[in-house]
Amino acid sequence: MIEQLLIKGLSLGAIYAMIAIGFCLLWQSSRLVNFAEGEFVTIPAFLMVFFYSVLKLPFAPAIIAAIIVSAFLLGFVMKKTLVDALIARGNTPFVVTTIALGFLVRDSLTVFATPEALHFPSMIPQTPLQFGGAMFSSLDLWNIFVAAVVIVCLHLFIRKTKQGKALQAVAQNREAAGIMGIDVQKMILMAFVINAVLVAFSASLAAPIYMVKYDMGNELGLKAFYAAIIGGFNQVKGALLGGLLVGLIEIFTAAYISTQYKSGFVLIVLIAVILFKPEGILGTKEQL
Amino acid sequence: MKVFETRGLKKSFQEFSALKGVDIHVNEGELFGLIGPNGSGKTTFFNCVTGTLKCSGGNVFFRGKDITNKGPDAIYKMGIGRTFQLIEMFPRMTVLDNMLLAIQESQGSMFGRLLTMNEDGNVKRALDLLGFLKISHLRDEYSKNLSYGQQKLLDFGMVLMTNPKLILLDEPTCGVEAEMRQELMNYIRDLNKQGHTIIVIEHNMDVVMNLCTRIAVLDAGEKIAEGTPEEIQNNAQVIEAYFGTEEDEEC
Repeated sequence: MIEQLLIKGLSLGAIYAMIAIGFCLLWQSSRLVNFAEGEFVTIPAFLMVFFYSVLKLPFAPAIIAAIIVSAFLLGFVMKKTLVDALIARGNTPFVVTTIALGFLVRDSLTVFATPEALHFPSMIPQTPLQFGGAMFSSLDLWNIFVAAVVIVCLHLFIRKTKQGKALQAVAQNREAAGIMGIDVQKMILMAFVINAVLVAFSASLAAPIYMVKYDMGNELGLKAFYAAIIGGFNQVKGALLGGLLVGLIEIFTAAYISTQYKSGFVLIVLIAVILFKPEGILGTKEQL
Repeated sequence: MKVFETRGLKKSFQEFSALKGVDIHVNEGELFGLIGPNGSGKTTFFNCVTGTLKCSGGNVFFRGKDITNKGPDAIYKMGIGRTFQLIEMFPRMTVLDNMLLAIQESQGSMFGRLLTMNEDGNVKRALDLLGFLKISHLRDEYSKNLSYGQQKLLDFGMVLMTNPKLILLDEPTCGVEAEMRQELMNYIRDLNKQGHTIIVIEHNMDVVMNLCTRIAVLDAGEKIAEGTPEEIQNNAQVIEAYFGTEEDEEC
């Protein structure tokens, strides 16, 4: 039973973790919090349905096309429009604007696409697996595998490549990074593009589970936001830990207490972290 | 030949004028000193020149090009490097990574750097410089764990990584022990002999008087004197503004 819950919790947490890492990267590079992050998951999910069901592209190209278009729209266009217009004014105007953007995306999808839930198949066949006494779906393992590959690639990029180190430098000392010749605006653009790719991958994992719907990102964005705060908003490893923890808390609460309390227990942990370790479990204190 | 010049450089912070039209020129190969009491605008001058702060008026020229209000990254790539009065580096990166970061943006394109790692040549140069600064044993230490003096040396090493044409040193020997201070002065002289143009802000009068061939004095955002060390030492206005008010100030 516990192994089964662990796998299911990690599978759900893997989706949260990728979105939470996106929150973290945006904050580290630009000091901005994107409150439309949930809708940033919804958009690639709709794009996948559009490419696969409407344009009838084969499955893999449909997903790749959705990731590329998402990187352009949610990375490049987002940076060149809202971010460039608002970044000099600080985080609050950006937060308010992205809350409005979230409403705009949800309502536009309802009006111009559909309010109905749409089916999108999973990348691998969904088959029940048994390991010892644990019963779980092949999708659970797949989610963990895809998230692990994406996060390891991101980790290697940030830790090993020159551009990854430049991104770290901007996160640690933006002014000095500029003095050292790093184009800070391009690094922020890169963070938005990486975020867009991360949410697109999480959309590809979430779509077969949650169905593709205009409000599918609400819960995902909110839980990933909690996850980033719990793990540490300024540490990628913190966001990863936070995502996995939130997934595990939800699944264990649903199994042992009630599904109705699963969000409540996440909030209890969130409040405890804010009270006793406001920088998050793995986060570092920042001077404002 | 003038390599660097400011004409009527101004910087205001709301009502307060930190620089009130400063004219300074530095010739190629010169070792130029910029001194003045605390709050006279020396570091603000560096910040405006390097693009960290936007100038409120006037112009900055480097090698005949107007670089006024260009971004700090663009100015760095043109060949102006600087150290900081207060330590500015990347605290959760190792000493070696800090050194390598100082040079990587001057090489190749953004896309070229996207999936590449640092070259052996850069690593060798970084290790050579760390060796000279006697901090090579700290290469794998996070820079936040270094002492103030060690961080100052790292800051100096980072500037030297790119071999900049114009080097701005903001109190380079402050907080560094006497023996290393002498070595740093020798190294600054060597760099100058190799053809680097250097502007030094320094509080230690022994350092600035022994090091520089020409000195300008700022007071309350205005240039009040300019000349050789002897001329500055004997200038009544300077003595009143600087030596008269702050005797032998230690940083």
